[in-house]
Amino acid sequence: MSELYQELIDLWERAVYLRDIKGEDFEDILEVVQHLEDLRHRFYEESPAGMRERLRSLHSKIHELEDLAARTLTPYEIVKIVRHPQRFTLLDILENVYDSYTELGGEGEINIDPAVVVARAMISRRVGDRVYLHQVMVIGHEKGHGEEFRQGGSAKPWGNEKALRYMRLAETEGIPIHFYIFTPGAYPIEDYPGAAQQIARNLYTMAKLKVPMVSFISEGGSGGAEAIGLTDFRLMASRGYYSVISPEGAAAIEAKLREGRPPRELVERCARNLRLTAEDNLRLGTVDRIVPEPPLGARRRDYAFFRRLRYEMIRATDEVVLHTRSLRTFRKYLLSRKDGQEELPEEFAIYVNWELSEDEKEVLLENRSRKYREMGRWAVCGEASRLKTFLEKGHDLGTKVFHGLRYGVFRHSQRAFRRMFEELREESSAFLKPVTDPVKSVYNLIAGKKRRPPRVVSLVERLEEPEELYVSPLALEDRTVTCPNAETHGCPDLWVPDLYGEFCGVCPNCGYHFPLEYQWYINNLFDRGSVREFNEGISSGNPLNFEGYAEKLAEARQRTGCNSAMLTFEACIGGLSVIVAMLIADFRQGTVGVAEGEKFIRACDRARITRRPLLALVHTTGGIRIHEGTLGVIQMPRCTMAVREYVDSGGLYLVVYDNNSYAGPVASFLGAAPYQFALRSTRLGFAGPRVIHETTGKPVPPDYHSAENALRRGHIQGIWDRRELRLKLYEALLTMGGPNLYYR
Amino acid sequence: MALNHKRINQLLQRLRSHPYRIYPVETPHTGYLRKILVTEEQEVSAGEGLLVLERERNLKTLRARVGGRVRHLRKDLLGRFLEAGEKVLEIWHPLSQEEAVAEVLRETLVVVRAPETARYLLAPEVETRLLKEKRPLVRPGEELLIMTFMKRETPLRHEGPPMVIFKLFFSPHQVVPAGEPLLGLCLPEEVPYLERVMARIQEEWPES
Amino acid sequence: MKHRVLIANRGEIALRIMDACEDLGLEYVAVYTRADEESLHVQRARQKYRISDYRDPNEILAVADEAGCTAIHPGYGFLAEDFRFARRVVKRSSPLIFIGPRWEVIRDLGSKLHVKRLARELEIPVVPGTSEPLYNEIEAEARAEALFAWLSENGEEDPRLLIKAAAGGGGMGIEEVRELDEVRPVFRRVRAYAKRLFGDEGVVIEARLRRFQHLEVQLLGTPKGELVHFGTRNCTIQSPGRQKRIELAPGFDPRFKNYTFDAQALEEEIISHSLKLAEAVEYDSVGTWEWLVTPEGKAYLLEVNTRIQVENEVTARIARIRGKEVNLLREQIRVALGEGLGYVQKDITFEGTALELRLVAEDTERGFRPLSGVIERFTFSEAPWLTVRTHVPRDRSYHIPTEYDPNLALAIIWGRDTQEVLARAREFLGSVVIQGRTARGDPLVTNVPYLQEKLAEVYEFRS
Repeated sequence: MSELYQELIDLWERAVYLRDIKGEDFEDILEVVQHLEDLRHRFYEESPAGMRERLRSLHSKIHELEDLAARTLTPYEIVKIVRHPQRFTLLDILENVYDSYTELGGEGEINIDPAVVVARAMISRRVGDRVYLHQVMVIGHEKGHGEEFRQGGSAKPWGNEKALRYMRLAETEGIPIHFYIFTPGAYPIEDYPGAAQQIARNLYTMAKLKVPMVSFISEGGSGGAEAIGLTDFRLMASRGYYSVISPEGAAAIEAKLREGRPPRELVERCARNLRLTAEDNLRLGTVDRIVPEPPLGARRRDYAFFRRLRYEMIRATDEVVLHTRSLRTFRKYLLSRKDGQEELPEEFAIYVNWELSEDEKEVLLENRSRKYREMGRWAVCGEASRLKTFLEKGHDLGTKVFHGLRYGVFRHSQRAFRRMFEELREESSAFLKPVTDPVKSVYNLIAGKKRRPPRVVSLVERLEEPEELYVSPLALEDRTVTCPNAETHGCPDLWVPDLYGEFCGVCPNCGYHFPLEYQWYINNLFDRGSVREFNEGISSGNPLNFEGYAEKLAEARQRTGCNSAMLTFEACIGGLSVIVAMLIADFRQGTVGVAEGEKFIRACDRARITRRPLLALVHTTGGIRIHEGTLGVIQMPRCTMAVREYVDSGGLYLVVYDNNSYAGPVASFLGAAPYQFALRSTRLGFAGPRVIHETTGKPVPPDYHSAENALRRGHIQGIWDRRELRLKLYEALLTMGGPNLYYR
Repeated sequence: MALNHKRINQLLQRLRSHPYRIYPVETPHTGYLRKILVTEEQEVSAGEGLLVLERERNLKTLRARVGGRVRHLRKDLLGRFLEAGEKVLEIWHPLSQEEAVAEVLRETLVVVRAPETARYLLAPEVETRLLKEKRPLVRPGEELLIMTFMKRETPLRHEGPPMVIFKLFFSPHQVVPAGEPLLGLCLPEEVPYLERVMARIQEEWPES
Repeated sequence: MKHRVLIANRGEIALRIMDACEDLGLEYVAVYTRADEESLHVQRARQKYRISDYRDPNEILAVADEAGCTAIHPGYGFLAEDFRFARRVVKRSSPLIFIGPRWEVIRDLGSKLHVKRLARELEIPVVPGTSEPLYNEIEAEARAEALFAWLSENGEEDPRLLIKAAAGGGGMGIEEVRELDEVRPVFRRVRAYAKRLFGDEGVVIEARLRRFQHLEVQLLGTPKGELVHFGTRNCTIQSPGRQKRIELAPGFDPRFKNYTFDAQALEEEIISHSLKLAEAVEYDSVGTWEWLVTPEGKAYLLEVNTRIQVENEVTARIARIRGKEVNLLREQIRVALGEGLGYVQKDITFEGTALELRLVAEDTERGFRPLSGVIERFTFSEAPWLTVRTHVPRDRSYHIPTEYDPNLALAIIWGRDTQEVLARAREFLGSVVIQGRTARGDPLVTNVPYLQEKLAEVYEFRS
């Protein structure tokens, strides 16, 4: 009897699941569900035989429907599968994939962040008759089958901090880490630290963590996923999704909605356009392998799937480990696996020890670096032909040798010479000249007056030099504007030519910063005539064939004359040569995609090779560009990797924010910077007020993202005034940074 | 100075028959009156736009500082160049209980007014005592307030006989226009009487 | 073209500009604030506009456009030396004539440091000190040491230096040091102060001259390149807040006072230096070059005032162009509107001594605190040698506005020589009656007794 009832319940669950995934208008699913529910109510009224008969017919009906459903599965339905409360979660995996585990840093609701689960676990492998146990650290998101307190797997900053802490522990203990990504996205709050800050820290650490790391993606929600996603091997569930943004979010942006729900049809289209399925991601190169699931997705009791997952996790870890050893063992390992088989092998042919020697750790890091450098690189457009890159490589090699000679070999003697020089002149004040002089010339430039010693009779003509000075196009209007703080600070109305000319767009009374175009920075921060752009040919493309995006790109390109939102150039500040990467608002709101990421990485390399400081100037960034999907998202780990390598090599990486600086870039290569500063006008954070309000349901105070609050939260090192930006940058270049700068 | 009971009674009577405070809305500076956004007798809430004034091609919306009813709207000024301080309309703001009390106190207490449009804060000494004692006594020459004006801090001292601080009319750190009341003082022996007056108003005044 | 001048100022200077305009047959428009409604300059103007603030360029320009003005006279104070205002007046889409020097000149001569550097280039002596802002304390100490040495070499027994904020002015951010050990802490303090107040950390160090006479040279240039001077003035007598109280023309009177140096030669020297600088910048309006003269007869250029000055009439009273009296305001307006001078240096002669007394409602006993209140009675006996410039009406009581200088009146007195001018000044001060009450009901005090006392000190070197 109970068996029969269980069967009924199972069928009912499958029908409901089908309805949830495919929608109520899917065939006659509603009738089937209704029928099953009726049966449940009348269970004891019916004869067992009759019931059995009915169930049999319903069973075949549902089977038929499931077949059909699987064949017609759309990307948005996959998203719904992933979000379904019946889908397996991390705790199911810990129960079924691992042999024993101990949860660390909290339990259930009593937890610093119940959305993040960390466990010390054992995973077993059979080789012949022997069973080997591997120790691993398991870190991942727990969606909790609808448990409210899990926040659907949205990690809070301190949840990600917990993850980071145990990553470090795994490194200390020398055990591999298995990451399970089940997150719709990070919980978008600014705190101590904020969401972006913590994700950036995680990425920065993971870039060089000395243990093998394997991640498995079921729900890869953008930045939240990356917080534990920079790994050596990325697996993805065949019915999982990995995306830059939820389809609903993308639809809201596409429809320019301020609030409310976007139309379902648009959501479907966005889901399709975002290329978020496992097959898509494998094709894009953002994941390494797909773990097959049942056609309509694995649920919490799909034990076959868990067996499969165990096998895949072990195998991926093996491969990462063997990659650090000789190529021969790796090849042997691959051969040991009977290829092309769908059937799951019961046992492994060999045992692989997951502990790495010091040398192997180095290789591991090199492999990881190479992996991320190559990831999605095929999508780079413009100038990036093979020959060209090769030539560039050759050129870079040349400069490397040159600079190595100049600053490496001679550096030692140069230092000694300078010390002697300083000791010699200690008593006189003459040696101060070289230090103070540039500061003064910077001051003069910033003060807006070039004061060369007068020689010509007419002082006035000498001071004019109008053709040399950059005039903001905003200044060319005879009118006045009211400072937004006039009410509270009593600021006078400002004459536009003064405001955007001499005042650098800053209210002289209260210091309010009016927004300025990016050209202003290029023309006013750097020594005149020193700006030389490079890699300008690398351009944003449409790798996903996102509908309508190509037109938008063409429009942006035409309007701005730029090929991407990232400008990279060499320039001098007070005679010090720097490499600058600048995100500009004019081109797609400074969002980051393939081209931007690639240019940034190349700028990092250039700065590293030529031993120059690297300055990231953020005019505005709206985050990762959604139209490039996960190819955009992977710029987060890619660029952070490049930053880490640059900083580790002894350079100075400085970030200066302005205007709106949000989301992915801030949560990775910008937020990872050791030195970050913001202009007074900056709004800095992870998600914008709308998203925060939608996710947390709490109202967002107007100054939530202000530079002052960012400073309070410890995100930035200081707030700078735009009028002093050049001077501050100059001082920073002189006083900060690692030992390998060319002028050190 | 002794309190004039009769005057207080008259004041109360006047408030009862006319429970409004009239806020004139004047042009803060010269300019062309481009738009009038309200009509006579319209109820406006604080922050609502009233007028649009244009000077040097800068359109500025003047907003209501308090809620109330629009009266004496000078529609004839529309489109004209106005001098600074031209009254365009009045807002008749119905007084709440608290405001009625303040109104009476403003008329009866010895009021320290803002000498400049500036930010004011309580002198630290007074502030701590205000927290402790509620109505502290201040002696002649003692610092009452600090005015921060043109980046300089100037103390305002108490003049006259020792008095108690009965009422604060301003919020510290906010800009107070010149001439607005900052503090209300009275002689220590007048406190009980004033408290009775306040209680009376609170009893009589309809809850809004 | 018929010009119409907007007078962007108040008080006595507004009245004097009105005089000059009427003299030249020009129309004028006045502006005023609510606080000034009773002032004479408001009473007198036929066309006038109430504005919110004399310092707000937007108000001035909005009124200028509305009233159809073609030129703006800034007077002194307020916007007179604001090069941004001058620039905006001429660069806006409907430009007006700015009655004053070109904005570039205002900007360049407005910076004391810049004037210093320029003067050094032209070999004009300036008060020893730094001509670039210092940011570094080690460098500051080195400079201070050199300056102390210089002062000692020049016979200063108690040498002192001034450390000031480069961007400062009006006596703010200035500290005095007596010895080298003090320099570093004071430098740091001033630098922090400068940073906080002016947003720039630059600091300058200067030798402090303790005994000197304050002289100034009155120049007049035209956009056509003409340049003449109107001799010198002596403005040594100042209130502790460095505000002038008694001014005399000429700057030296060797017949009245014995100098240890050749006063006439020195006067010629500072005039020629002033002209040299004015020529270098192509100075094109009225302007004043301020000098400090030590008892040893050394002169140092202090600063340049690129505006008409309060005391311009002391000069006007003794100067003659081809024997006729001069009105510098009239000359200023005339050249700004494009006329040539019509005379040359040798046409300018001088006659007698003139003295100006500034009558101010201030409590000279209590730190020269400015007073406000009501003036109920203001009388003096008229005399042919006396001109009184005032915006205070004499036929009714007058509230002194609290927002502005408490200047009540300027009395300009002429005499054939210094003795006579001093006698007449005493006579005037004896006859003037200013009665009134302060806001608290006390009798209003003025600086008349102080002026009486200070008359004894004219042309003296005092520390």
